[in-house]
Amino acid sequence: MSEINKDIVQKQTQPEALQPEALQPEALQPEALQPAQFGYWKSLAQWNQDSEFQKAAAQEFQSSPLREEELTEEDRDGGWARREFLKLMGASLAMASTACIRRPVQKIVPYNKAVEEITFGLPNYYTSSYFDGAESLGLLVKTREGRPIKIDGNPKHPLNGGASSTRAQGSILSLYDPERLHGPRKISSGTAVETTWAEADASIVAQLQKGGVVVLTGALNSPATTALVKEFTQGFKAKHVQYEALSSEEIREGQKASYGDEAVPFYHFEKAKIIVSVDADFLGTWLAPTAFTRQFAAGRKDPATMNKLVSFDSNYSLTGANADIRVKIKPSQQVDVVMGLAHEIVVKKGASKFAAQSSVKSALAAFAETPTKLGISHELFSRLAEDLWKHKGQSLIVAGGLVTQTEAAKDLQVAVNFLNSVLENDGATVDGRSGFSGLKASTKAIFELIEEMKKGSVKTLVIHGVNPNYTLPSAAGFREAVKNVGMIISSSDRVDETGTVSSYVLPDNHPMESWGDAEIIDGVYTIQQPTIRPMYDTRSFQLSLMTWAKIAKVGGKRISSSDSYYDYVQAIWKDEIYSQVAKAAAKGTNKAAGFESFWDQALQTGVVDLGKQTKSSPARTFKLDALNSVKAKSASGLELVLYPTVNLGDGRFANISWLQELPDPVSKICWDNFAAVSLATAEKLQLKEKTLVELVIGGRSVKIPLYIQPGLHNDVVTVAIGYGRTAAGKIANNVGVNAFDFAKIEKGALIASGLIVELKPTQEAYKLACVAGNATMEGRKIVAEATLTEYLKEKGANNHRHKTFSIWSGHQYNGNKWGMAVDLNSCTGCSACMIACQAENNIPVVGKKYVLQGREMHWMRVDRYYVGNPENAEAVFQPVMCQQCDNAPCETVCPVLATVHSSEGLNDMTYNRCVGTRYCSNNCPYKVRRFNWFNFTGPVEKPLNLQYNPDVTVRPRGVMEKCTFCVHRIKAARNQSRLENRELKEGDIQTACEQVCPAKAIIFGDLNDPESRVAKIFKEEPRAYGLLEEFNAAPAVRYLTKIRNNDQEKRFPGTEGASHNKGGHA
Amino acid sequence: MMKRKALVIGHKTLQEVTEDIVAPVETMPGKGWISLFLSAKLLFLFYIITIAIVVSTGMGLLGVNHPVGWGTMIVTFVFWIGIGHAGTLISAILFLFRQKWRTSVARTAEAMTVFAVMTAGIFPLIHTGRPWLDYWLFPYPNQRGPLWTNFRSPLLWDVFAVSTYATVSMVFWYIGLVPDFATIRDRARHKIRRKVYGALSLGWRGRARDWSHYEMLYLLLAGLSTPLVLSVHTIVSFDFAVSNVPGWHTTIFPPYFVAGAIFSGFGMVVTLMTLVRIGFPKFKDYITIDHMEVMNKIIMATGMMVGYAYACEFFIAWYSGNMYEKFTFINRAFGPYSWAYWIMVSCNVLIPQIFWFKKLRRSIPIMFAVSIFVNIGMWFERFVITVTSLHRDFLPANWGNYAWSNYDAAILFGSFGMFLTLFLLYLRLFPAISIAEIKPVIHVGQEDCRKPDQKVDHKGGH
Repeated sequence: MSEINKDIVQKQTQPEALQPEALQPEALQPEALQPAQFGYWKSLAQWNQDSEFQKAAAQEFQSSPLREEELTEEDRDGGWARREFLKLMGASLAMASTACIRRPVQKIVPYNKAVEEITFGLPNYYTSSYFDGAESLGLLVKTREGRPIKIDGNPKHPLNGGASSTRAQGSILSLYDPERLHGPRKISSGTAVETTWAEADASIVAQLQKGGVVVLTGALNSPATTALVKEFTQGFKAKHVQYEALSSEEIREGQKASYGDEAVPFYHFEKAKIIVSVDADFLGTWLAPTAFTRQFAAGRKDPATMNKLVSFDSNYSLTGANADIRVKIKPSQQVDVVMGLAHEIVVKKGASKFAAQSSVKSALAAFAETPTKLGISHELFSRLAEDLWKHKGQSLIVAGGLVTQTEAAKDLQVAVNFLNSVLENDGATVDGRSGFSGLKASTKAIFELIEEMKKGSVKTLVIHGVNPNYTLPSAAGFREAVKNVGMIISSSDRVDETGTVSSYVLPDNHPMESWGDAEIIDGVYTIQQPTIRPMYDTRSFQLSLMTWAKIAKVGGKRISSSDSYYDYVQAIWKDEIYSQVAKAAAKGTNKAAGFESFWDQALQTGVVDLGKQTKSSPARTFKLDALNSVKAKSASGLELVLYPTVNLGDGRFANISWLQELPDPVSKICWDNFAAVSLATAEKLQLKEKTLVELVIGGRSVKIPLYIQPGLHNDVVTVAIGYGRTAAGKIANNVGVNAFDFAKIEKGALIASGLIVELKPTQEAYKLACVAGNATMEGRKIVAEATLTEYLKEKGANNHRHKTFSIWSGHQYNGNKWGMAVDLNSCTGCSACMIACQAENNIPVVGKKYVLQGREMHWMRVDRYYVGNPENAEAVFQPVMCQQCDNAPCETVCPVLATVHSSEGLNDMTYNRCVGTRYCSNNCPYKVRRFNWFNFTGPVEKPLNLQYNPDVTVRPRGVMEKCTFCVHRIKAARNQSRLENRELKEGDIQTACEQVCPAKAIIFGDLNDPESRVAKIFKEEPRAYGLLEEFNAAPAVRYLTKIRNNDQEKRFPGTEGASHNKGGHA
Repeated sequence: MMKRKALVIGHKTLQEVTEDIVAPVETMPGKGWISLFLSAKLLFLFYIITIAIVVSTGMGLLGVNHPVGWGTMIVTFVFWIGIGHAGTLISAILFLFRQKWRTSVARTAEAMTVFAVMTAGIFPLIHTGRPWLDYWLFPYPNQRGPLWTNFRSPLLWDVFAVSTYATVSMVFWYIGLVPDFATIRDRARHKIRRKVYGALSLGWRGRARDWSHYEMLYLLLAGLSTPLVLSVHTIVSFDFAVSNVPGWHTTIFPPYFVAGAIFSGFGMVVTLMTLVRIGFPKFKDYITIDHMEVMNKIIMATGMMVGYAYACEFFIAWYSGNMYEKFTFINRAFGPYSWAYWIMVSCNVLIPQIFWFKKLRRSIPIMFAVSIFVNIGMWFERFVITVTSLHRDFLPANWGNYAWSNYDAAILFGSFGMFLTLFLLYLRLFPAISIAEIKPVIHVGQEDCRKPDQKVDHKGGH
């Protein structure tokens, strides 16, 4: 029994306890028993106080309380005394009632020491930045009552704007990962032992002073960290190695060979009218996909002038899925594609300034028969070449990423650079002078490092931000080499794969707990502000370096003059960035503000843009010698393609449950990687889905689930990297197979693509969790598509609208009426909206077992359908959220009115009224409702609960939930507008999915405001249609037809109108 | 003119009738009954535990998922509700139509109805996500606003329909039992027995006045029950028909469901009656092969009605030009759940056709087998309607399969434990044939079977 209950029991029993004393006084005793002091007596017996008489008198009145008091046990005749009965009765009543008293009172104390900047119940936003080794974003972090709860893009950021990527969205969960280390650990014989920072520092400094120090980091795009590492390495005479599993080394090498300078250029997809991507998944995983998606989508907002994307795809990448024309290839054909196009333009057409050069002609001669080699029509290829030439200076050829890491990776880059130079794109759409200067990681460098480690010349290895023991194939020999290293110090936030072979794991702060900065591309700087105090006894890697340098009394002036890394960052910004700003200002008439105000402003806006991008960059001269090494090759056999996925990337975020459960945009499979082959290959090799296959590579064999991917080249088998972690945490461990291990090292370079493998069937059953029910639209009008030709003829081409009527007047919306439009021509299916929605709305993760049973909880999903035959399937994407129907089928069937229509057109879901009949879900034609089959939110491990958005109810077991159009954001905006005494206006409200969308495909607004973007789309846009419009649920969402710029007359040739539109006048 | 066949064979005297019928109530049960009862009881306990686990853990233990929001529980609910139709049909409608043959089967069929409705009634309560809040489904003045229920929801109509049906059929059944309880009371030698049956017989004295009131009340209740026979399954069908799902949204559902319900109800009556005849051989004189034959004829007739409905649905799906509807029906017959569809068609439409042959419809083993097939087929009919319609609806990206689990099987079979426990108890505690009603009909058709060899010796054995 709790303390409180005891109290109550005492209180209730107290009167009883008092009674005996209070009622005892002699005066209250009945007359008959007292001496006849008043002189009246009834009988002699009374006068004599005869004992017999007294006994009789006591029993005269049955209810005499005294009688019972006086009675002894024997007198009772085995009955109960009244008082005792009442006592016991009262006690038992009190006992019984304790079981049904109110819940224990737990007093809370008001927020009486309020932090100055925090208003209880209102969010604070802080600018920050994100970097995952390749992509860097400017962020705006939303915090509530001191804890970060949501990451979004910084709207003022020139590259990503308000958008962000799936991984950036998900990275918030890594802050609250329950498996983060809570303090420094010493690893002795494989087990992590707690240690203190002082102890660790002492032994590390002693070791560092022995020399032979190497600092191994990931790509560093932080000016401050770069400077600090430089200072540190100078102080300790150490070496600095930058390594990333997904490096851009081949691009830098190609640039160097072609133009002489070694930097990853910046690309301007928005300026390109025609884009040819050779296995560069720039919409999904390559370099800066968020920024590139923004640019790409900007280039096709108006279908009439939209760009054209041609993708030569070895893997079925997100970029391939969005291509207007997708050509399947295998990795060994990548060079052929680019050189073949160059041949078409330079030799066949005789165009460009290179046409006259015989060395070029001879270099290209070998690629004359490329279309035959690719198995595509000559006509398509030459038309593409024609198109490219027509748009010279406005076209863009890109190639890169892990899929291009073949033996000819550098040659491919040289070929791409050549073609870009031929097309005069260099300087126009390719900015080679101010690019991604932070991407300096190299795989070759780490192989050299491993050699040194093996030799024993590395005494101390400090590892930060990378996990080589996981991302390097075992053939690299890292695991053997570490044995020769005296001390390995890892800054990982957990004892990961590399941590297990280290001597110390000294956990770095989470990026959201520490200061930092980034130079995203040349001249665009952001500051990383901490948004929460370090949750555990962790220390930033940078501060560790500074501490060690200080203890050892080495390092430069900045280290010794800075007390913290914050000071260091400020010092760098003052010396390097502010000085440039001040210099630029001094040139003009403006006098630069002082550093303090510059700094404050930088923190507030989150970005300092020195404007290097806007300056035109002149074309560079292509070195023709570079072409000499580019040779045509022919290969046969099944070629392996390793690729990073949109959700997991290189696997560093594998322990984030949201990302594991986010279905891969194309295959729609989550919680696994798999070997994907084409249908024909599967049939030829007798491989079956739902079984494991044996993948034989270089004498080793690995069992991996099989997936049949439509649209793959018959000679290709693709496997995603980022899976198969063994020491990442409960979520990621042993999910999938570590495909990094398949890579080969040749001549000091990593070959991840084009390796010849074999696949053998096995009988072992294995189920992949796929959320896509059916691959095709079954001839229904779900995603409407038209070709550009059709669109130019008629804007509403293939958009068959239905006339619907109703026998009642419908709801009246007098104030706002919310609506949404989704431009399927912009949407790339990147699925950032799904994670944003999950983060915003406290949506639980259910795990693979339950995804297999169809119990995933995503309020918003991105449906993927294939169009065309399985050999050359094209993909379409469609984000589907609650359509907030005016004639909502869910509302009428709920027996308890748990889902009702709001005056603003929303289908409000009242969680605490829901009893969970699931009738609404059955009756929803879009099946957007999700049911809490179990108590998904209850067992959430602490501190993951800190991420919960306090504005959104956390749903218990047994209730239905669904998209609300972010109704809490609507309410917040309305409150704000009321405070400001004005009407809500367009742009006040952004739903989470709209905010995150890099393609700006989702538009939310007020349909009752005739000037709003949605109202105009609903009213005027010929491409707009409602999903299942003929069903007359009157959805408040409109989709805009997808336009394919694929040179074809009709999207569905041989049909009058569109065959897939004929259905369903229901 | 055809001669009537005897409704009761064996030239029973009135006392013999009483003694035959109350024998199971007045004698100790044999090994057969005890072993059946214990196993049913065990299954019932298993059922209760299963429900407790599901309620405390979550609906996710069953195969229901996204997109198949309703599964085993709703399927089995409709199955049992359907079973419950034969009883009231026999006792009320056939009573009103003066079908005298009903008397020997009416009591047990009604008992079956009551128990089936009780078994069914559990499901809507436990299939919700939060069963502890089920009382919100009832409209009553409350302190939550007051928050009212949604009278537009067929699920709410269902609450009324089923609870009304349960109440009326239970009262009807009980009223019929009153004179018989009095008979047991009058025969009782033991004090407690006399008290219990005395209380149950509500002070019945067998006076003319009692009989007069009784007859009138019985007639009125029969009249009241008759529309309910049709309405309850009509409204159950509205759960499906009023919603939008292709395969559910059809106007044929009310008559189709009622026919199916009668079909399945008679199937279950035949199953139980064949077993009762085995368990209590004396009842063979009352529940004769002629009775069974009549019920088999009804099975065949309603089976064909159901078959017509199946065909009609396909025709309308094609005729409507609605592509979703069309797809749903093609998917039913040839999709991933086609096996369920063809089980349904063969059990419900094809197998009962053997009753065209008189010999087969008068053969106890054959009719038992057929009735089992009918029961299986009708469960699958509801499975086909519920699951295959939901699993592939409008947007192909949502399609999925039902995630059948062991809990589905436990719930389905456990519900038989509940039903059989109640039914077996009924056989031993209540007179399983209406004594009061059988007595007036013992002479019907007797002239035709006065052959001496048909005289069965009924002496002894009490």
